[in-house]
Amino acid sequence: MFSLQGITSGIQSFLHARFSASGVLIFESLIVILLATTLFALLGLVLVWMERKVAAQMQIRLGPNRVGPMGIFQTSADTLKLILKEGLTPDGADKLLFNLAPFVVMVVAMLLLAPIAFAKGFQVWDINIGVLYITAVSSLSVIGILMAGWASNNKYSLLGAMRSGAQIVSYELSAGLSILTIVVLTGSLQLGDIINAQQNGWWLFKGHIPVIIAFVIFIIAATAETNRAPFDMAEAESELTAGFHTEYSGMKFALFFLAEYINIFIVCAIAATLFLGGWMPLHIGNWQGFNHLMDYIPSSIWFFAKTFALIFLIMWFRWTFPRLRVDQLLNLEWKYLLPISLFNLLLVTVIAILGWHF
Amino acid sequence: MSIDFLMLLKQEMMLIVIIFILMFLKLGKDRSNESYMTIVNALLLANVVIGFFGNEEGVLFAEMFRTNKLMVLEKNILNLGMLIISMQSFVWLKTHKHVPEFYILLLSTMLGMFFMISAGNLLMFYLGLELSTIPLAAAANFDLAKRRSSEAAMKLIFSSAFSSSLLLFGISLIYGTTGTLIFSQIPLHLGNNPLQIFAFILLLAGLAFKISVAPFHLWTADVYEGAPVAVTSFLSVVSKGAVLFVFVSVLYTVFKPLAGAWYNMLFILSLLTIIIGNLFAIRQDNFKRFLAFSSIAQVGFILVGISGSSTFGSASVVYFVLIYVFSNLAAFGVISLVSSITGNESISNYRGFYKTNPVLSWILTLALFSLAGVPPTAGFFGKFFLLFAGAGKGNYWFITIAALNMIISFYYYLRIVKAIFMDENDHPIPRVLIPLMPRLALYTCIAGVLAVGFISYIYDYIHSLSRGM
Amino acid sequence: MSTTEILFWFLSALALVSATMVLISKNPVHSILWLIIVFFAISGHYILLNAQFLAIVNLIVYAGAIMVLFLFVVMLMNLNSDSEPQKNNRFKIAGAISGGCLMLIMIDVIRDAGEVQNAKALVKEGNIGLIKNLGMVLFKDYVIPFEISSVLFLAAMVGAVVIGKRN
Repeated sequence: MFSLQGITSGIQSFLHARFSASGVLIFESLIVILLATTLFALLGLVLVWMERKVAAQMQIRLGPNRVGPMGIFQTSADTLKLILKEGLTPDGADKLLFNLAPFVVMVVAMLLLAPIAFAKGFQVWDINIGVLYITAVSSLSVIGILMAGWASNNKYSLLGAMRSGAQIVSYELSAGLSILTIVVLTGSLQLGDIINAQQNGWWLFKGHIPVIIAFVIFIIAATAETNRAPFDMAEAESELTAGFHTEYSGMKFALFFLAEYINIFIVCAIAATLFLGGWMPLHIGNWQGFNHLMDYIPSSIWFFAKTFALIFLIMWFRWTFPRLRVDQLLNLEWKYLLPISLFNLLLVTVIAILGWHF
Repeated sequence: MSIDFLMLLKQEMMLIVIIFILMFLKLGKDRSNESYMTIVNALLLANVVIGFFGNEEGVLFAEMFRTNKLMVLEKNILNLGMLIISMQSFVWLKTHKHVPEFYILLLSTMLGMFFMISAGNLLMFYLGLELSTIPLAAAANFDLAKRRSSEAAMKLIFSSAFSSSLLLFGISLIYGTTGTLIFSQIPLHLGNNPLQIFAFILLLAGLAFKISVAPFHLWTADVYEGAPVAVTSFLSVVSKGAVLFVFVSVLYTVFKPLAGAWYNMLFILSLLTIIIGNLFAIRQDNFKRFLAFSSIAQVGFILVGISGSSTFGSASVVYFVLIYVFSNLAAFGVISLVSSITGNESISNYRGFYKTNPVLSWILTLALFSLAGVPPTAGFFGKFFLLFAGAGKGNYWFITIAALNMIISFYYYLRIVKAIFMDENDHPIPRVLIPLMPRLALYTCIAGVLAVGFISYIYDYIHSLSRGM
Repeated sequence: MSTTEILFWFLSALALVSATMVLISKNPVHSILWLIIVFFAISGHYILLNAQFLAIVNLIVYAGAIMVLFLFVVMLMNLNSDSEPQKNNRFKIAGAISGGCLMLIMIDVIRDAGEVQNAKALVKEGNIGLIKNLGMVLFKDYVIPFEISSVLFLAAMVGAVVIGKRN
């Protein structure tokens, strides 16, 4: 059976045989950087194409269909165009922050990749506070967005950044609380442990209704945190031209665009890891035969299938729900989602203590 | 265990219960302000009464919380002050929109003070101190329409944040050099290490901010002037009293090995405080500013008593704070009534006050006499004991300067009395009707001012509970 | 020098330089961004001390939440270098003198601190900073301060609501 774990441990032993400890570290970092960059580029291309195709399907159109078969090279062409375009910096802008902001957003997205397990034994850093790490780092993307909005010296940008900041800061709470339900059930903050705890079934199925509630809340909060419709107040093209990246063009704009899609991928990957077992195949209790059958499908396929299913869900939202107003958005979080998730957390704690989950 | 636990924490529990009752009252159906205040005052009365039952001594939560009879008494004094303030602010609160919130804020600061007094750990001490200042800043802003009130709140929060940071720096240095935060352990590790003395100075400066000792007093007058009278009286009596209690116990127990260092500091600080308080009080026209500087001077006298570092010193501080509660609150009660009914806060408006308001004039006069330390009132005994305790160290010219300052203070207190009784005024403050609750509060204060000095049992009781160095 | 030492010096230098930049930046937004870097450097120090939980919480609370609110306020008020009030020169000199005195005293005091000087920080050792041990300590020994801080937050919230609700 094809296994990524074999490859990684093979590389590890290969390097260890030839270099000192710090040499191994440097080489492995280089490999990770290479892989991450490739993944980013690929994801960007695939996700943008997917978004356009999904949108087209929802609206009974064809979508991109000229460049390449089914238009799959459309995004590559777009990227080429963006690379060749001139990157303008407005006159009144704060030059340093204006140019720094896209990179901050990008770096935050990259940092988030660290604890995600793409397949069995294929993980950059299984930090022992993985879940907290994710919450901490994802909250930092606000800083990049606020920097971009403020440095553009444009009222639309500033308004967009403010909205996005308010939105991310508030939805972070319920996202964090629904993550905590899984932490309570597992008793560990390490993503590896969380995945292993789902060996006999995914948490979504094992944890009764409270976990389903937490899952739904997490998906809503994740949609809001990535500034996607129906929570795309930060960009709201009909109100704010393009929100915080109104003034950006060329490659800097492309970075924001890419970061948005990477963020979608990452939140969906986290949701898949926490609630759907990450790379863990679909196992049901101790049905040995069924479990073995499922194990024949490689773990990386499981991971990407789950993640892309969730991404599809989030894209689906975009074309089905109308945009919320700012006050509706904040009401939804503070008056509904937050109390519900607090109560839900309490319920899950009771379940975990009494051992009512499967 | 459980009964002991509740008995040891009874005063804190009472406050928490009252806070919760108020929150649920606010969440429930709309009530009139009168009914809120009746309920609150009944609860506060119950709080004071219950505080006197069952004096247990003990330690809880790994020395985080400790209590003894003196601490229970100190908390009862603060409870009493709170009740009196609550009754006096009746007229002001009657038209306010946020009555339960006001009490929630003040009672949480009280809770902070109680935990601070009972702290057996520097961390608890710091948390209690924070809890006793942050809500107070919000309360200082309670005249929501007035800019001065917001200004007072901002000044209070900035100065207290600054002083907290000094205090926290001191605490972290002490933790770094002694390796412990527990009060009973710290003295074992304190020595003549200069870093520890430096840490102590920072800690002292932080506390000095809170009780507005001279070089750190600059926020006092502005905050007192801008804040609503009820909050001003709370600041000057209850919160200052609480920090003073803690100051004594921390200096006498935790920093006992550094006594040589802090005696000299207290000596300079107290003289500076008394002189600055007196000199600035002379030229004030706003009554609240005047009382601010007078309270600074009073703290200076209290520092004289603390510097005595004997059982006598500790007892005289608690005794003086008790008297100070009565006399200062009597003065503030009159000002509160006059200011919330007529809006007048300046001393020159009080000329000819006796013609229109004889009862209030007498109450104010007695209060000022007590603050000045004129013999028949309790204030005289309080100050006398403080100076006497300070003299225990044998530093007589220090005491002489303090006593001379007492005479200066007679001048400005009596100047107001003269204005009230003798000066002519074409437009005196109109007759003020005193509602029942403030009246009760004022009579209680006056009874206290007259009686506490003569009932020797009170002082003997405090003395029997106090411990020196 | 080992990797840890290099990291330590790098983080310390970063923290000090950024803290200085917080003070001398003319633009408040830049000051806040420098402050965020200070918090990052301090989080790095926590990680060196094997206190990962503290490091992450420091990021969540300070860099992620409080600093974002700071940025919000400063950006909304549109403060920039022009709106900064001109300070009197005399205040600057007085501040420099008193700050310098404090620094002199601190340096002198630390020079004379005796046995404290020889104490060494335990780097990458001890596991009190790990989340499990921290949880134990927080909910056993420090349960009362923990609860009191909840009262503090409650009171602060009540105060904020009252002040914010003008009508």
